[in-house]
Parts: sequence; C-alpha cells; structure tokens
Amino acid sequence: MSIHRTSLRIERLGRLTYLAGGVILLHGDSKTRGTTTSGSQVSPNVAIGEPLIVADSLRKRYESTVAVDGVDLTVYAGEIFGILGPNGAGKTTTLEMMEGLREPDDGTITIAGFDTRTNTRAIQQIIGVQLQSTALFDYLTAIELLRLFGHLYRIPDAQNTTDRLLQMVGLEDKRDSTVSQLSGGQQQRLSVALGLVNSPVVAFLDEPTTGLDPGARRTMWDTIRGIRDAGTTVVLTTHYMEEAETLCDRVAIMDSGRIIALDTPESLVLALDAATTIQATVVAEQFDARAIEQLSGVVASSASEGNIKIQSTDAQATIVGLLDLSNRSGWQLSQLRTRVPTLEDVFLSQTGRTFQPDNDDEDEAAPRKPRRSFRRSRGS
Amino acid sequence: MPPFLSMTKANLLMTVRNRTALFWNLVFPAIFILIFGTIFSSDQVAIDVGIVGPESAWKAETIAVMEESEAFTVFVDGGADEELSELEEGNRDAVVVFPEIDAATNAPATVYYDEAGGPFGQISVGAVQQVLAGTALGDQQVPIETVAVSGTDFSYMDFFLPGIIAMSLMNSGVIGLSTAFVSYRERGILRRIRVTPFPLTSFISSRIVSQLIVAVPQSLILIGLASLFFDLHIRGDPLLIGVVIVVGALAFLAIGFALSSVARNVESAASYANLITFPMLFLSGVFFSIDNAPAWLQPITRVLPLRFLVDALRETMTRGNGLDAIWMDLVVLLGTFAVGLTIAVRFFKWESRPR
Repeated sequence: MSIHRTSLRIERLGRLTYLAGGVILLHGDSKTRGTTTSGSQVSPNVAIGEPLIVADSLRKRYESTVAVDGVDLTVYAGEIFGILGPNGAGKTTTLEMMEGLREPDDGTITIAGFDTRTNTRAIQQIIGVQLQSTALFDYLTAIELLRLFGHLYRIPDAQNTTDRLLQMVGLEDKRDSTVSQLSGGQQQRLSVALGLVNSPVVAFLDEPTTGLDPGARRTMWDTIRGIRDAGTTVVLTTHYMEEAETLCDRVAIMDSGRIIALDTPESLVLALDAATTIQATVVAEQFDARAIEQLSGVVASSASEGNIKIQSTDAQATIVGLLDLSNRSGWQLSQLRTRVPTLEDVFLSQTGRTFQPDNDDEDEAAPRKPRRSFRRSRGS
Repeated sequence: MPPFLSMTKANLLMTVRNRTALFWNLVFPAIFILIFGTIFSSDQVAIDVGIVGPESAWKAETIAVMEESEAFTVFVDGGADEELSELEEGNRDAVVVFPEIDAATNAPATVYYDEAGGPFGQISVGAVQQVLAGTALGDQQVPIETVAVSGTDFSYMDFFLPGIIAMSLMNSGVIGLSTAFVSYRERGILRRIRVTPFPLTSFISSRIVSQLIVAVPQSLILIGLASLFFDLHIRGDPLLIGVVIVVGALAFLAIGFALSSVARNVESAASYANLITFPMLFLSGVFFSIDNAPAWLQPITRVLPLRFLVDALRETMTRGNGLDAIWMDLVVLLGTFAVGLTIAVRFFKWESRPR
C-alpha cells in the first residue's frame, strides 16, 4: 500500500524540519517561560535535538486484531512528541511498548541507547509514566504519594523536589489532601507529577487531558510545556486535534495501527497543500461570479443567495483582491471569514474519513473502521 | 527511606485509614465478642460433673479436687444409669465412670459427655481429663497442685475468643487482600508499579508484611476487649500464640492472594472470598463444635484451614498446650500458604482485561 511509503517519506522530511523547528522551540522557550533549556539537563548521553527514542518496525497483535502494524518513529530529546489518532488507532499500545508494559511481537525500541527488552531496569530509572487510568493509591495524601514514589526510585526525601513538583502541577494547596478528596483533573495532574519524581529523561503521558474540562485542559498544557522546559522530553497520546496542533512540537498521526503522517503540525498542514476557505456574505445590485473566479489564488468558488465560498491557495492575495473588487463594484461585504486547513484535513486526506475527536465516551468515539476492526485499548 | 520500608509504611497508613477494612477486621469481630460474650457469659460457668463407680483413692482424690475448684459442680450421689440420663437431658456436662479395679492397674476411667452439648461439652471433657490425669496416681509422685488446668475454670470467652481471632485473621487475609489486589489491578496501580524500578515481588511481600504487622495488634485488641468485659484466661505461651497468629495470617493471606489472581474484578473477588470464608466460619468450630456434624461432613471440615487455626489457637490460648499439640496444625497452615502462593503466582495478571 502506498500509505506506508508515504509515512516513510514524511518522516525523513520531518527530521529535517525538526532541526529548523528546534531553533524555534528554543526561541519560544525563552520568550514564554523565561527559562533556557540546557542540554545537560536532559541526559549526559542525549543532547537536545538528538534522537532519544528510536522505534523500529513495531508490531503488536492481540489475539485476532493487529493493534500496531509496523510503526517506525524517532523522538528527539527536548521535544513534545504527540501521537494523535482516533480511539483504537494503536496509540496507547505504541506508548506502552515504549514504557516496557508490553513486549512488541516484532521490532525494537531503544531509549537513550537502552533496548526496552534487555535493559528494562535501566529504562525504568530514566522514564516517567502517567497511565490512562490515574492509578493512585487511596487513603494517601498528595505529598505522601510523591514521597513514596520518590523512595521507589531511591530518591531521598528532598522536601523541595516534592514541593516543586506540586507547584509545577498546581497542587501546592492540595499537599495534604488524600486522593479521594481531589477532583478528576487534580488526580490526573498528581498522576503526572508522580511520573516526574525521578526527574525522568522522558515522560510518557497517555491521554493526559482526556476527561478534563477545557479550563483544566489548558492548565495541563501549561504543565506539560513546563515539563519540557525543565528538560524532560515528553511523549503523549491524544485524540484531540487542537491539543496536537497547539501543544506538540511534532505529531505522528496514527490510524489502524500505522503512522499515516509524521511532522510538525504546521508542516503537516502545509504539506497537504490544501486551500484556505474564504467565506463572505455579499449584498450587490450586480453580482459577477466570474470576477471572483479571476481573483488571484482562487482555485474554486461558488455563490448562492449572496453567500460566497472561495477556495484559495493564497488567502492574502485573494482577500485583498476581493475587497478591491467589492469597492469597485459597490458590493457590501459582511461576515468575511476564513478557515485554514487543520490536522483534521490531514487526517481526512490520508484516510478518506473524518476524525471524530472530542468525545470522551470511548465506545461511541471509536470510528467506523472500513479496513479492519480494532478493539479499544482502554486502561492499557 | 528504602523502597520496601516506604511501601510497607504506606500500606500500614492505608490500612489504618481504610474504614471498611477497619470495620471487617476489628469492629465486626468485636461485635461478635460483645454479643456472644453477653449472651453466654451470663450464666456463671461451672462444669457439672457426675461421678460414679466404685470407691477408690483416685475417685476420692478427683472429687476432692473438683469440689475445691469453682470450675466444677460435682454430683456423686447417683448411679451410672441415673447420671447418664441426666447427661442426656443436659443436666450434666460430663459424667466420669471410674473402673472396677484400683487405678494402679491402669484401668481407664470413662468420661461421657454430650456431643450435642456444643463447645462446652468439649471444654468440659478437656477439663475433666486434666483433673483425672492429675489425680490418677494420687500419691506423692504427682502432687495435685502441679496440674496447671485443674484449678482454673474455663469461661465461655476462653473458648470463643480464639475462634473470633481466627475469623478476623481469615477475613483480613481472604477478603481484605483479595479485594485490595484486584482493585489495584483494575485501577492500573499494578501497571503503575511495573514501570518503576520497584520489583513486583517486593510490592507483594511488602503488602504481606504490613498485613502481618497489622494482625498482631488486631489480635491484641480483640484479646484486650474480651478480657476487659468478660472472664478471660489465656494460658499458653504468648510467644507461641504469636507464632500461631502469624502462621495463620500467612495461610489466609496466601488464599486471598490466590483469589486475587483468579478473580476478574473486585465484585467477583468479593463473592469468591465470601464463598470461601462463610462456610468455613460455620464448619470450623468457631461458634459451635463440629464434632456432632454428620459423618459425611466430617472429612470436609478436616481440610478447612480455618479449623486448624482455630484448633491451634484453642490448644495454646485456652488449654495452655505447647508446640507438641499444634505442630500438625502449623504444618497444615504453612502448606496452605505454600499452595495459595503457588496458585497466586501461576495465575498472576498485571491487568484486568486479558487481551
């Protein structure tokens, strides 16, 4: 199938793009956070921008279903890497193979040079994990849990580390609250904080914002950016388009166990070469549809009952031309709006299906699967 | 703090803060102690013993000892038939028939007791036998004063408390551990631990250690409660009793752990646990003696781990016997531990949905 070749091509492209993107990333850090990211914080072995996780032709099958079907990807130190896809696409399975929770049927993964099959203990020391289920002990307070998990990594009770983590996830005033006293969002943030007690080289976050309200989701995004700024590479899964676009430095879009596209969100959209849609309402005595078609950048246009819809590859030129045209012709333009292509369009163009995100009910959110059916991998 | 110690401390904290567990492990058995203690302790316990047979030094000595003790009420005036029918009617707890010939010829005395008389019948026999053993030689060789149990009385609580302690150890092991572990699995806590450098074996043994640590004060609280409100005598070596408690707790923890590996979810773990503990509770002599159970039931009761724990606790706590009386019980309990652990490890699952 041609899709597989395509993904390989895009990945190679992605690596080149990333090197350019890395500069932007560092620039962005100092602007938004006022901190500088130093390579030494990541790991003595892996400097910012160097490959940290290398997954090679991963395959995983559960009984009759193929969950992951030949995934290659490289995560570079210092980035927020997103795995985007509908439920059942194989995101969680891919993540769990990296975490060492599942053994691939085929293929290899190395993290900071350690093989996940043979160097399990070494990897456990340097990774941080937040699972889809918050997986917290009841009856323990936030601070007790953080200390306990610190001890599991043989980290001595350093008061400032646990307090800094609580601050990082915005739970400093919930220090002595037990898990059952925390809201779902707070539990999720505590769960993320627990994944950071060992100052991991890479943090794996499995759908960190699923089930959160929009406000809590944005708080989580800030938290995740903070993690990255503190020198920890982040690999996360999501089924929210918006999250992938605004939060992730690079995104792998998965569907039916394969990566169908992998790049920075901007490059993915650009590579689509998709037209921007310009819409407006026109009140005109004499309306000339052909004049619109002749504006520069226009690929296609339609007009009905004063509503015009233009597909343009050069939105700026088309809008300037449209304003000029309506001035000259005495049209009254209103409700001028544009819609730029998004990852949604990328998914659509790759699969021929629309993505159905923003639905937390997992069974309903599972997309129709024309090629193959997958069981949902919740809690896994 | 070392990982194992920290995890154990966390387990202890969680146990203390878990009100449901606290109820089942402490409040529930405490209620049993209070209710049963109040009901059965109200009539002052004395063992009614009928003594018949030809006069002998042994008989005279026995009557003297029993009359001296508050634990016995002695009836010496009836004939054998008379006394035995009194026994059948429930007016005697035991009847001793002395042999025709003098005790020096080793002819046995026969002790009759009412099988349907419940736990008290058993206690009575034990007490009477102790006295008989003490008076058998009747001369300077075995001074009567040296027979430990002869002068003490058995209260209902003496008999009842070991059973309740065994019950609470069983509940916290079988119900407590199984539901806790299944819920850890369901909620992904086992997987969460799996991605840390803390080994699973340490996680499990830490849980077992913390439950053992809890078992001792748990038993002590129940003992304290019983002795505070009721007439309680503990006769055995405290260290040996402690060993029995720990070994018993281990056996039931292993059963609970095995259940957690087999059960699919918390609900099924709880029902399996009840399915195991409930019949055991009634077939192991916690509340009443199972000696009068139908013959076909006897072999079943003889394989129930709880029965061995109850037996070991009564032998030590109530009768003051030593290791020689309970080693078999301990072997069976340790065997249960080994089998339970083997099943648990064999069927262990990291996550609740096998895929």
